[in-house]
Amino acid sequence: MADILSADYIVVGSGIIGSLVARKLALAGASVIILEAGPRVTRGELVARFRNSPRRSDWMSPYPPADWAPHPIYQPADNGYLIQAGPYPYPAEYIRQVGGTTWHWAAQAWRNLPNDFRIKSLYGVGVDWPIGYEDLEPFYQEAEEIMGVSGAPNTGSPRAKPFPMEPVAEPYAMRRLRERLASDFPVVANTTARNSRPYDGRPACVGNNSCQPICPVDAQYHGGLSADAAEAAGVQLIANANVYKLEHDESGKVTAALYYDPDKSSHRITGKTFVVAANGIESPRLLLLSTSDKFPKGLANNFDMVGRHLMDHPSTSLTFDADEDVWLGRGPQSPSSINTLRDGPFRSEHAPYRLDFTNISRVDGSTKSLIAAGVFGPELEKRLRHSAAREMNVKNVLEVLPNPDHRITLSSEKDAMGIPKPETHYSIEDYTRRGAERSQQDFRRIAELMGGTNLRFSKDGDFANNQHICGTLSMGSDPKISVCDEWGRTHDHENLYLAGTGVLPTSATCNSTENALAVALRAVTHMLAQQGATSAPPPRDADERVPS
Amino acid sequence: MERRHSRPPLPTLRPDASPDPLRRALLVGFGATYVLSLVPFAWAQAVPDAAMAPFMALSAVLVGRPSLDPAQAKRLYDALAANDPGFPAAAKQLLDTVEQRKIDPMQLQQTLNDENSPLKDLPRQVVTAWFLGIVGSGKNARCVAFETALNAQVVADILKPPTYAYGAYGSWTRNPAEGPDHG
Ligand SMILES: Cc1cc2nc3c(=O)[nH]c(=O)nc-3n(C[C@H](O)[C@H](O)[C@H](O)COP(=O)(O)OP(=O)(O)OC[C@H]3O[C@@H](n4cnc5c(N)ncnc54)[C@H](O)[C@@H]3O)c2cc1C
Ligand code: SF4
Repeated sequence: MADILSADYIVVGSGIIGSLVARKLALAGASVIILEAGPRVTRGELVARFRNSPRRSDWMSPYPPADWAPHPIYQPADNGYLIQAGPYPYPAEYIRQVGGTTWHWAAQAWRNLPNDFRIKSLYGVGVDWPIGYEDLEPFYQEAEEIMGVSGAPNTGSPRAKPFPMEPVAEPYAMRRLRERLASDFPVVANTTARNSRPYDGRPACVGNNSCQPICPVDAQYHGGLSADAAEAAGVQLIANANVYKLEHDESGKVTAALYYDPDKSSHRITGKTFVVAANGIESPRLLLLSTSDKFPKGLANNFDMVGRHLMDHPSTSLTFDADEDVWLGRGPQSPSSINTLRDGPFRSEHAPYRLDFTNISRVDGSTKSLIAAGVFGPELEKRLRHSAAREMNVKNVLEVLPNPDHRITLSSEKDAMGIPKPETHYSIEDYTRRGAERSQQDFRRIAELMGGTNLRFSKDGDFANNQHICGTLSMGSDPKISVCDEWGRTHDHENLYLAGTGVLPTSATCNSTENALAVALRAVTHMLAQQGATSAPPPRDADERVPS
Repeated sequence: MERRHSRPPLPTLRPDASPDPLRRALLVGFGATYVLSLVPFAWAQAVPDAAMAPFMALSAVLVGRPSLDPAQAKRLYDALAANDPGFPAAAKQLLDTVEQRKIDPMQLQQTLNDENSPLKDLPRQVVTAWFLGIVGSGKNARCVAFETALNAQVVADILKPPTYAYGAYGSWTRNPAEGPDHG
């Protein structure tokens, strides 16, 4: 490959965020190159890999990492890519391939609540965002129209325009929850990037119940579609290009991205503006790797803030058997939740949370438990049907506060390409633990209202991770405690922007991707203004995206 | 699908039927009467390969199913034997143990554990193969069946295996007790 490629904008990472940033820049007339570490993989291959997987409940099993662009794998054994410095493990999951991690997400596409932007002022915890809900509102809408988001207006996030689609039809099990919990809890439809009707050339959901790890029909939006859309808008996407360093000039402006191809040949791509969108772990890693005499701690790191304030959404959960047959597994995986505990004065005391109900089929999990328990003979089938019909699960989605000691650093160990591995430093603080404790009473009440028996709480002190990697590139107005400004522009380098969930300075109580996408789409307006783009963005024509 | 819920009919013995070598192999595989009392229906079962007879009989006991698909059985047997060359002999030994000591399938695991039997992993292996379609473990695990695995089959009146379309948009809103949503 010739090493003379250059463009107005170089975007690192073709995940949902990088690809949609690139697309918007290209639609405005700019030349854009995306450098993507991983390979191209098709939906058909992924579905086949899932069906042939010996570990169907391990959603990473259809996504083995490429040798030249590793990502963390934990089953059947930890591949040792993400080093855990503790004290609490942070077993992040993400995917390095064209389109990134949302190939296997649950498509929950939430807006924050207005108060989530001001928790320091309102509740004396965390930090305030440099922007407010109203700044993001039009960009939430833009994100929702691109992704095709379906939802109901009763989840606490005000809107100027209606959702692109009404909520996806409610699975019977969720209806029973809504009906039986009504006295105490409003159970509402989740806001999801999942089609309740044909949208943008993709079909309505048909209930395959494999949203994680792969929707076989693209009824659910994902980053592979974003990458396709970027290329359709004229972006040049170079796959298998693992960026390992950004170079700069005397003034501190970034001048080039260096990447390895799978043979470890190095290539250099120059550009006017650089956008790092390689996710909440790989983006800070790349900044930390980009050291020089002038920036010995790496780029954008004058105040040693890169990689700090790592946050996610830990969860504890309750599994129980309802007193009626509800049969989880009919329809989509993530249909409904309770939103009333996401905000309130209690936030000064303990973490707020969303309560989320799963609709993932219990069949494989129950089979494994019964076999492990030595249930054989005709009893096996009988008990399997019982569990598949009656088992239900509710989890909390807890806020984590920003703490500079929770961070991503470079490990002394190196990956297969000879690049230092990322290392996590994490713990679960009392604020979050108190929220988890508070939610126990909700768990119990929910089980009670469903006639629940055989209550199985997740192990005390065990928190599952939700893979919403936030905070590591925090935006803020104070350069001493943040990495970039409200536009994702690094405080230290005028032509270096950051995009993705890492930019979010607090985690709030909902899945982070739509928030990150709205922030990034808003940032594009600034990137374009900075380069003095002569061609104004073409009006976003709804017909272009929404089939009639 | 009443075949799942009612006891299968007792086998009709047909003394006039012409002797069938596979049938005879199956009888050999079964040994004597206890296993037949658990899986009388197995008399009527075709066995693709005489060497598989003990595996078939053992499988029928462990999974508690009235009929086991012979083609599937062959795939699972071959995979289990490839995974562990001692598998065929171990299956026969376990079958004999169950037969001689008349062990109830629900007591089997506990019994083998208590005795620290070298066969104690076998029931799980066999049932995992039939119900999950998985043979081997850890890095060596492989998937031999998915939609034909028994855990998909035994709920097939209500659920589709993941990645298979459930039905038309919204078909999942109905109470499944009202009847099947999909054909
Ligand atoms: C199982 C699971 C379920 C989830 N469910 C939800 C959900 O329901 N809702 C929600 O909001 N979020 C969910 N998430 C989180 C969601 O996937 C992420 O928030 C989202 O993918 C972030 O997008 P991104 O573009 O920033 O990063 P990614 O999607 O991770 O994309 C980053 C891209 O950058 C590339 N890259 C990395 N390093 C380099 C490099 N050095 N050079 C070049 N390219 C590089 C990667 O290969 C990848 O393609 C889920 C995550 C998981 C794992
Ligand atoms: S339920 Fe099926 S069709 Fe619907 S979004 Fe999930 S995987 Fe796609």
